[in-house]
Amino acid sequence: MILLIDKFAAGKYGSWFGLLSRLILGGVLFAAGWLKIFTPAKSQMAVRAYEALPISLANFLGIALPWAEVGLGILLILGIGVRFSALAGGALMVVFIAAISQAWARGLSIDCGCFGGGGTVDPGETKYLSEILRDTGLALLALYLVRYPLTRFAVEKLAKTEGE
Amino acid sequence: MATSSSGGDKFTRNLVIAMVALVVVVGASFSYFGSKGSTTAAIPSSVSKADGYGIVFNADVPNVPTIDIYEDFQCPVCARFSGINGMTIEKAIEEKKAKVVYHVLSFLGTESILAANAAACASDEDKFLAFHKAFYANQPAENAGAIDATFLKSIGAAIGIDSPKFAACVDNGGYSDWVRNVAEAGAKANVNSTPTVFVNGKEIDRNTEYFNVEAFTKAIAG
Repeated sequence: MILLIDKFAAGKYGSWFGLLSRLILGGVLFAAGWLKIFTPAKSQMAVRAYEALPISLANFLGIALPWAEVGLGILLILGIGVRFSALAGGALMVVFIAAISQAWARGLSIDCGCFGGGGTVDPGETKYLSEILRDTGLALLALYLVRYPLTRFAVEKLAKTEGE
Repeated sequence: MATSSSGGDKFTRNLVIAMVALVVVVGASFSYFGSKGSTTAAIPSSVSKADGYGIVFNADVPNVPTIDIYEDFQCPVCARFSGINGMTIEKAIEEKKAKVVYHVLSFLGTESILAANAAACASDEDKFLAFHKAFYANQPAENAGAIDATFLKSIGAAIGIDSPKFAACVDNGGYSDWVRNVAEAGAKANVNSTPTVFVNGKEIDRNTEYFNVEAFTKAIAG
């Protein structure tokens, strides 16, 4: 399996797939952050609703996370520090999957608040499975970028190729 | 040539990374400190700091349950809640059967802040409950630009507030620092949804007691 992916990454379409991964992961991170930075109180509420952290830490993360998402999104879209930003973005996805899973397992009724919104919702309105599947897909794209950070149309490309 | 271009790229790379990091840190800091309350905020009448800066009714009535109601004026479910239970709450206030604290949150955006400010102005005229009811009966769509000073003054006029003081209060948004204090207190109280109702500090059952007038009446009896 790994060998097959290695072969694909080294082949004709590898760097194009890398570009696609960068744009999808970066675009989703940027959009998710952008939709939240203007409503900090709502974003704090969304983090608190997971009931996984002390209130003060949840309130801090509710403000810090959206900005971090915007920053990582910009770096991925531009193609700068790809390996680092993909690693950080992928780690965020793993944290999100864990947070959503624990909420699901404990029977909370919340919206993930991934793209704004969030907080407690009616029990029939939860979408845990699709949220987890989406974040898993994004985490896999991040993993691909960590392993093959050289992609098409990346600002950093020239320096990278010469450096390595 | 190759080394110089590579060096230039490295410089650009570090510059961009530094700039992005700066934007993230500065933006998050502004947002963080902007959401902090202010100890010097102008406070509308009948507000109690000890009650999370909420607007309090029957503060001094002994031996009655305390009902904390967290709402956002733009939240459609709050309008529905108010339509179902508004009369019950007003009756409990009138008959001094409960101490009622209204916490006007503003997480849905700037128009929520304008509405909360205007509600505080109405509180100064002893018309908070009437304003609250009239606003929800005419609640515009969320963040559609409909909630402005003109709209808020027309709500005031509809419930008989014609003082220039109210108009000035709505126009200059003098209570917006207080609105932030309410929001901060709500965040500390772990309110994660609107409406949220606490009776004596404990949330009532979201599945059964929010939108059924009999169950709600029973729940707030304490």
